[in-house]
Amino acid sequence: MNTVRISALVGAIAFLVGLAFATFSELKVFLPALLKGLVVTLQVAGLSFVLFLFCSLLAALGRTSANLALRFAAGIYVEIFRGTSLLVQLFWLFFVLPEFGVVLTPMTAAVLGMGLNFGAYGAEVVRGAILSVPRGQTEACIALNMPEWKRLFRIVLPQAFAIMVPGMTNLTIELVKATAMVSAVTLVDITSAAVKQNLIHYRTVEIFLITMLLYYCLCQVVRYGSKLLEVRVSRYRGALN
Amino acid sequence: MKTPKIRFDKVTKRYGELTVLDSLDLDIAPGEVVAVIGPSGSGKTTVLRVLMTLERINEGVIWIDGEPMNRMRQGDALVPASQAHVRKLRSKIGMVFQSFNLFPHMTVLGNCIEAPIHSLGLPRAEAEARAEGLLAKVGLADKRNHYPSQLSGGQQQRVAIARALAMQPEILLFDEPTSALDPEMVGEVLEVIRELARTHSYTMLLVTHQMGFAREVADRVCFFEGGKFVEQGEPNAFFTQPQSPRAAQFLSKVLQAG
Amino acid sequence: MNWDWTFAIHTVMPRLLSGIITTIEVTILAFLLAVLLGLPLMLLRVGKNRSISVIVGEIVEFLRSTPLLVQIFFLFYLLPEVGITLPPFATGVLAIGVYYAALCSEVFRAGFEAVPRGQWEACTALNLGRYRTMRDVIIPQMLPPIVPSLGNYLIVIFKETPLLSFVAVAEMMQAAKLIGAEFYRFSEAITLTGLLFLILSLICAALVRWVEFIVNRRIYR
Ligand SMILES: Nc1ncnc2c1ncn2[C@@H]1O[C@H](COP(=O)(O)OP(=O)(O)O)[C@@H](O)[C@H]1O
Ligand SMILES: [Mg+2]
Repeated sequence: MNTVRISALVGAIAFLVGLAFATFSELKVFLPALLKGLVVTLQVAGLSFVLFLFCSLLAALGRTSANLALRFAAGIYVEIFRGTSLLVQLFWLFFVLPEFGVVLTPMTAAVLGMGLNFGAYGAEVVRGAILSVPRGQTEACIALNMPEWKRLFRIVLPQAFAIMVPGMTNLTIELVKATAMVSAVTLVDITSAAVKQNLIHYRTVEIFLITMLLYYCLCQVVRYGSKLLEVRVSRYRGALN
Repeated sequence: MKTPKIRFDKVTKRYGELTVLDSLDLDIAPGEVVAVIGPSGSGKTTVLRVLMTLERINEGVIWIDGEPMNRMRQGDALVPASQAHVRKLRSKIGMVFQSFNLFPHMTVLGNCIEAPIHSLGLPRAEAEARAEGLLAKVGLADKRNHYPSQLSGGQQQRVAIARALAMQPEILLFDEPTSALDPEMVGEVLEVIRELARTHSYTMLLVTHQMGFAREVADRVCFFEGGKFVEQGEPNAFFTQPQSPRAAQFLSKVLQAG
Repeated sequence: MNWDWTFAIHTVMPRLLSGIITTIEVTILAFLLAVLLGLPLMLLRVGKNRSISVIVGEIVEFLRSTPLLVQIFFLFYLLPEVGITLPPFATGVLAIGVYYAALCSEVFRAGFEAVPRGQWEACTALNLGRYRTMRDVIIPQMLPPIVPSLGNYLIVIFKETPLLSFVAVAEMMQAAKLIGAEFYRFSEAITLTGLLFLILSLICAALVRWVEFIVNRRIYR
């Protein structure tokens, strides 16, 4: 808990110092471009985060389902998206699909690619969490005659949720960092803006340090949010003290 | 004779090669309290689990109130039961587990109203009123907003009993309800069960290692071994004069140890 | 439909296959660098000197919280400015290696902390020096439990190599991009790249499981 606070604080202070440094020197010429890139990065990260959660849950339910066809389909999805690189998938969505008549906007391709890719990893986290809920919980539900879907949504998933938070947090941080690749589909995010500005101004150290600080702060915010969430969802555990 | 509340008709349950229930027959009259005793690993838990439909049986039919549970009537024939049919009959049965199986993410009250609301469709207020009455009965009214992890084992098991009762079952199954408890908490749980047996008309099936308790509350004691009931009888007669050598041997071992 | 088998087999495959060689070279070299650099990083982290351990910890956290791609770009532009001219291939290996060294050091640390205290105490009782204790007792015990994580990183590094196409290292993804730019068609090159990645990472995963099996058998016979 404490270390997260401190890290977030250190991150924020470092960012402010960087900002002041950039604003009060000649370097302010490239800052607006970087901040414009930051908006794109945040958009991609936010949208693909939602898709990532959705795909994770759906694929995990598929993989733990009693239905063989569903299990198989979910398994294929996970293997394909985990077996190939995100960058290859982004290229494929953006450059190959149009040759088969499906044209995606850069934003759609980026969000779709990142959401599907991280969803495949998330599916394994969610599945592990679902499987780690003790079997006795399901049996108690049967003994109480609860319908199957209520069993899942009221008993199993809420408990699995507390278990999956750390794993999903790590994936979210990976997702934030992976947004750096979206220039592959012609989006101008922070990374791409940084490269462009660097080609103009040749201020490698300043530009890239500020870029890295921005990512660092984003990651710390995710860590901090996840800690808050973790405290909330696992209140019931070891609540003796 | 009246229709039995529960009837096992040549019920066989196998795990792979291992036959745990071997063409088992058993009739239990309405309101009867039956204690099942026997060596551990013999299959006592399995008897309760197949009745609660937690396990599928391989052969035979289980009847509840003259209705087949794992089968259903279609004309004169018995066909495999549908989910709806099983759910209808299952609503007459409640079970208390050896390891409580409370929902850890819900409060005590939450545990007791969950199924009444989401399985019976009771309005929330009514479910809460019912649950509070039951919690008072098991002596835990003041713990309604605690989480299970904040309770002792004995208290957790009493919540589990209240939770089962909240569904208003006619049949209650207890699977060694006190064997996961520290010795000093056994008494409080047995007291609750004793009270239920005395003041209510539940049909009860009770697996236990507490011989004294079985003798006190049960109308009938069944000794289970090798997939069958080797001997059954009125408790006093059974405990003082077991007829079969196996039961006699088991009793002498248990009584020596206790 | 837009798929040309002759083009795929005669033009695309040979170029991708020569790209694969580079991909595999990068993977192996970067992985070795990560492991070799991760171990001393871990030693600094668990060392007696508090301030060094805190600083190293923060550096690791910083590296872990910024995208590898940004670090690759940074090195790629920075090194020439400070007068170091490396081929893009070497820069790429260096960037990936350093990034994963940070991650590996965390894995090593977890393994290190999993070795029971009693082992240290036994070494003290036997009057073994610190170096001997590490080399003969602690490191051999911390390795087997971390083999799965390390193996996993090998596969992850493999799947991250396409990032180097951003700085024009001639690995598989770059080969595919060049084909696309040259012939104005992407289906075959990129789809085949994906397939090759899929096949290789499945093989890689099988290899890692095999190594895991061997290590566990040799240690806990
Ligand atoms: N899911 C299962 N798979 C295989 N064997 C089982 C399973 N459940 C129980 N058994 C076996 O069935 C036998 C009876 O178990 P159980 O009914 O729990 O015995 P008891 O409650 O009398 O101790 C035991 O030998 C046990 O190993
Ligand atoms: Mg048992």
